[in-house]
Amino acid sequence: MKIIKNTLKIILLLLFLIMALFPLYWVIVTSFKDYKEIYTFPIKYLPSKINFENYKYLFEISNFGIYFKNSVLISLISALGAMIISIFSGYSLSRFKYNKAKNTLLLAMYFSQMIPTFMIMAPLFTSFANFGMTDSLFSLMVIYISTMIAFSTIMGKGFFDRIPVALEEAALIDGCNNMQTIIKIVIPLSLPGLAAIFSFAFVNIWNELFLAAMFMSSSYKMTIPVALNSFISKAGVSWGVLSAGIVVALLPTMIIFAFTQKYIVQGLTDGAVKG
Amino acid sequence: MLKKSHTQKNKFLIYILIPAFLFLGLFIYFPVIKGIFISFKNYTLFDLSNTQFNNFQNFKNIFTDQNFRFIQILFNTIIWVVISLLFQFILGFILALLMKKPFKGRGLYSALVFYPWALSGFAIGLIWAWMFNGQFGVINDILLKLGLINSNIGFLSNPKIAMISVIVVNIWYGVPFFAIMLLAALQSVPNELYEAAKIDGAGPVKQLFSITIPYIKPTIISTTLLRTIWIMNFPDIIYAMTNGGPANSTNILATQMINKILKFYDYGQGSAYGVVIIAILLTYAIIYLKISSKKGNDNI
Repeated sequence: MKIIKNTLKIILLLLFLIMALFPLYWVIVTSFKDYKEIYTFPIKYLPSKINFENYKYLFEISNFGIYFKNSVLISLISALGAMIISIFSGYSLSRFKYNKAKNTLLLAMYFSQMIPTFMIMAPLFTSFANFGMTDSLFSLMVIYISTMIAFSTIMGKGFFDRIPVALEEAALIDGCNNMQTIIKIVIPLSLPGLAAIFSFAFVNIWNELFLAAMFMSSSYKMTIPVALNSFISKAGVSWGVLSAGIVVALLPTMIIFAFTQKYIVQGLTDGAVKG
Repeated sequence: MLKKSHTQKNKFLIYILIPAFLFLGLFIYFPVIKGIFISFKNYTLFDLSNTQFNNFQNFKNIFTDQNFRFIQILFNTIIWVVISLLFQFILGFILALLMKKPFKGRGLYSALVFYPWALSGFAIGLIWAWMFNGQFGVINDILLKLGLINSNIGFLSNPKIAMISVIVVNIWYGVPFFAIMLLAALQSVPNELYEAAKIDGAGPVKQLFSITIPYIKPTIISTTLLRTIWIMNFPDIIYAMTNGGPANSTNILATQMINKILKFYDYGQGSAYGVVIIAILLTYAIIYLKISSKKGNDNI
């Protein structure tokens, strides 16, 4: 009985794994096939030889290297910005004593999660255009920081709730001021949580398409999702090149996810759900 | 002395809250208010000099547009949200139950099985659009080889099937989220509860419904609420796969909204759809929280 149960469990676990991995496998295989092989029958489940033609096209002809650099720069700085700001807002909401004010502020944060991106796009664009600040990496970073602050704060609050106030009081008695307490006590104790906040924001910003597409008009300022989007509208770009682009786009977030997965899980569950 | 440090601390807490709300205020709340105003105006990119109040025309259009397409779009949206959510939840719950007890390599397993969560909806849509391709798609090939179908299926070109196809992809994308959340919740259920239930002679199914589910109910409520909001506001997969077609069969409120903006540059009309989405989500959230908190009280 126990053996049957365990075998069934293993089979189910394997099924979930295959389902999860197959699309990844398929996009990688496609990216290494040459143009002809992609459109031949019978479909080949392995490329007859590893072919780098699609990747060559990406980096030599379509400037994917520049888009990659843009995406890394924007995601890194915006995620750091959102994290730093929400350390303070999350800590504040965690230690705030007035429940009514606190709940109102939290609700305001939750409400911002319901707003469709397209609703704020035109107003943002026209406001930034007034200052001549569209088509700028900086503007996009500022906007991305804003879109990530609410969720980061909610997550951060969940983490800070678990740090005993007694520790901070001890530091205050030792002569630390409020700011020093945060830097010396609160931040070191919540590093896993901060890692979660950072990577969650990074992944979301890295993947964002529509705001970046609207704000960046110069082609050398495109981010990776925008570049992928421009591939599909351009006729003549094959699924091979698109697949190679997708593989390149997936790599950083998957690496980050693999390293910080544990903390993200903890962060999401402690912060967003119970908090 | 003590009182003084208290008011000081409160002042400090308010100061450090300012940057966050400055960003939110300037770049989220202020634009959304402006967006609501835009929804009552003529506002197309072609003619920004002529943006005036247009007597609720944008909202009238939503409900009367092209032979009452709104009903179809609303219906599509409900199907998209409900079916996606249901299967994401059920499959995520099964996966979480399977992973609850530690086994060798669970860390690696979870990294591999949860990774879709780190991908963008847009990239996922593209990958699956290629796999669902009617001519060269691998899914058709596999189904043919398994003898489940006789000829290729137009997963994305057949209006009767397209919605199922995009929902399958959305389910695939959302299972890790639920599994992650529910797994953490499952691990917080005290073991004593199960031991006591075993002594009372409760089987696995009874344990599931009388202990596990009631215990993790708060997590279930908050995750389904959060997920509903995200799915409803999530045009990326459909945008990448079918862009609402064929024949509107996969058009939901979110894709209709972005089409009005991306295709027709009609921000007034698009924003009106945005207002409808926010109104639906707010109503839903309030009702959902009311009902679930009431039931929670009954249990206690």
